Amino acid sequence: MNRPELQTVAASQQRVRERVGRSLRRRYRAERRFRACGLGAVLAGVLAVGGLFVSIVSTGYSVFWQTRITLDIQFVPEAVRAGDFTALVRAALRQQFPEVEGRQDLRQLYGLISDGAGYELRDRVAAEPGLSGTTAAIALLAADDVDQLRKGRSDRHAPEAERIISDRQLAWLDELDRRQRIHRQFNREFFTAGDSREPEQAGIRGALVGSFLTLLVTLLLSFPIGVAAAVYLEEFAPRNRLTDLIEVNINNLAAVPSIVFGLLGLAVFIQFFGVPRSAPLAGGLVLTLMTLPTIIIASRAAIRAVPPSIREAALGMGASPLQMVAHHVLPLALPGMLTGAIIGMARALGESAPLLMIGMVAFIADVPAGALSPATVLPVQVFLWADSPEPAFLERTSGAIIVLLVFLLLMNAAAVILRQKFERRW
Amino acid sequence: MDLERQQQRQTVGDITVPDPVICCRGVNVRYGDKPAIRDVSLDIAHHEVIAMIGPSGCGKSTLLRCLNRLNDTIPGAVVTGTITLDGQDIYDRQQDVVQLRARVGMVFQKPNPFPKSVYENVAYGPRIHGLAAGRAELDEIVQTSLQRAGLWDEVKDRLNQPGTALSGGQQQRLCIARTIAVSPEVILMDEPCSALDPIATARIEDLIDELRQNFTICIVTHSMQQAARVSQRTAYFHLGDLIEVGPTERIFTNPRHRLTEDYLTGRFG
Repeated sequence: MNRPELQTVAASQQRVRERVGRSLRRRYRAERRFRACGLGAVLAGVLAVGGLFVSIVSTGYSVFWQTRITLDIQFVPEAVRAGDFTALVRAALRQQFPEVEGRQDLRQLYGLISDGAGYELRDRVAAEPGLSGTTAAIALLAADDVDQLRKGRSDRHAPEAERIISDRQLAWLDELDRRQRIHRQFNREFFTAGDSREPEQAGIRGALVGSFLTLLVTLLLSFPIGVAAAVYLEEFAPRNRLTDLIEVNINNLAAVPSIVFGLLGLAVFIQFFGVPRSAPLAGGLVLTLMTLPTIIIASRAAIRAVPPSIREAALGMGASPLQMVAHHVLPLALPGMLTGAIIGMARALGESAPLLMIGMVAFIADVPAGALSPATVLPVQVFLWADSPEPAFLERTSGAIIVLLVFLLLMNAAAVILRQKFERRW
Repeated sequence: MDLERQQQRQTVGDITVPDPVICCRGVNVRYGDKPAIRDVSLDIAHHEVIAMIGPSGCGKSTLLRCLNRLNDTIPGAVVTGTITLDGQDIYDRQQDVVQLRARVGMVFQKPNPFPKSVYENVAYGPRIHGLAAGRAELDEIVQTSLQRAGLWDEVKDRLNQPGTALSGGQQQRLCIARTIAVSPEVILMDEPCSALDPIATARIEDLIDELRQNFTICIVTHSMQQAARVSQRTAYFHLGDLIEVGPTERIFTNPRHRLTEDYLTGRFG
């Protein structure tokens, strides 16, 4: 009707269109910048993790093979009876190189084979008593320096003074190689042996069993206690100052540095309650303290995620509060609780600091027999080996880390699968 | 002014019925400091459908949730006054709340079947209350409950499928079947059709009419047509007060209170 007014409206519409068009370009630019930043952040993370894996795997993968030297062992009955198996190994070495004489040279020659070879022979004869009095070709563990050389981890072309293996030893090794007496075998001992001062004999069995026992204690204690605490706090506890205080403290507990838990465990469990030092029981108790807040917080979140309509339905049917929790809330919250528990366990598996405080850092060559015998755990084993001067321990360290990472990845994968499989949508 | 307001808010109509099943006298509810309903007195007769209507926040759902003490679960909710079920005070210390909820069932606004099978949904109540002696008896309870809820023909071949896989209307009828499986005396329905389409709504309304033979039903609804269709008596609530009670036909044709009239004629609400 009113033409001038219509014109101004049309003009302002035109102006809006132009302005939107101009600001659109700016908005899209901002969006592209933001996406590039995000992508960069993700890439940085992936690169860091990838770099870590590559570096560990490239130093550690060779631990799964071990160099062995095959010698013809004459099981002289007298020596077998006396238990002097090292003499048998030395005799077999001298038989290969009869020209070697003199104490110095012989020591060098004997140094090609691991000190543990005698024990291997002893175990072999114990398993097969018929060997006594016969001669058999047996693949014996090579010394760690020989093993490292064969794996290309030490440079054979370096000047002799910078090499652990002398020129004479190199010559003997080349000769043995020509006689086809040097082989690489799958390193079963790495998984079946306990710790040792000699890297070629050291295995992770002790640490694996120690970790298993420690985690078992942790799981058995922290899961029931954590779930019970979460259920009580979420479903039954009155809301008052005391429960608020408890809640704040649980959250604080989750942020306490783990070594403090170790000190607490030392003072309370070992000094006061007399739990044996270095035992998986003590470690499990300490790790329980550390894992509890994680499990409680995850369990409470899982319980809170159960929709109130399910609770009302159960209560409306005349279920008692305990029946409501047991029949409806817990089954629905359980996957979330288990996920929390697995993640807590994975953290506990990788924990070393608190266990140092309670003596699980001691050198223990035996595989622990139970939760009360002295033990160490995988991460502490890594710590111990990383501290050792022998270059071959570097490879063992990385190998133990690989095993630890495999377990951690498996646990995290289990958590993810559990979450996907049982996740419910309402 | 205060007196005038009080008079204005006094309940109009006869709140009493002969031989009531539920009897509320001077019921006040507050959530913390916030009053939800004030001084509500109302009788509910055997085998009637009573509709509670009113604008949002008027306290009709609050009163409904007092009748099976579901308000107990809300922190800060305080209920005063007396509510009796068959002459027994349900807020008495002696009254067991689990027992009460077996006698006063509830159907909720949003269908909320348990994430279990159809069979398990219906069998849950009889099972926790120990109503069935054996599997055969339980099967029978499940079948009759589903039949009464008009769901049997649709689900008899998939009793083991999850109840949450049914359609919205079927889920709500499953919830009704679950409620009647424990043979309650009263069924509370809190806007049972507000999440359903008109066809499913019509089925539920028919069902309510049939259920009246055996149960007393209190239904809270936002739909005045629904109240008019299914109920014999209607109670109109406004901002926490019970304004008017009476036979449904009378309320809809001849409301006595100005607020009721304004609401029914759509002047607010």
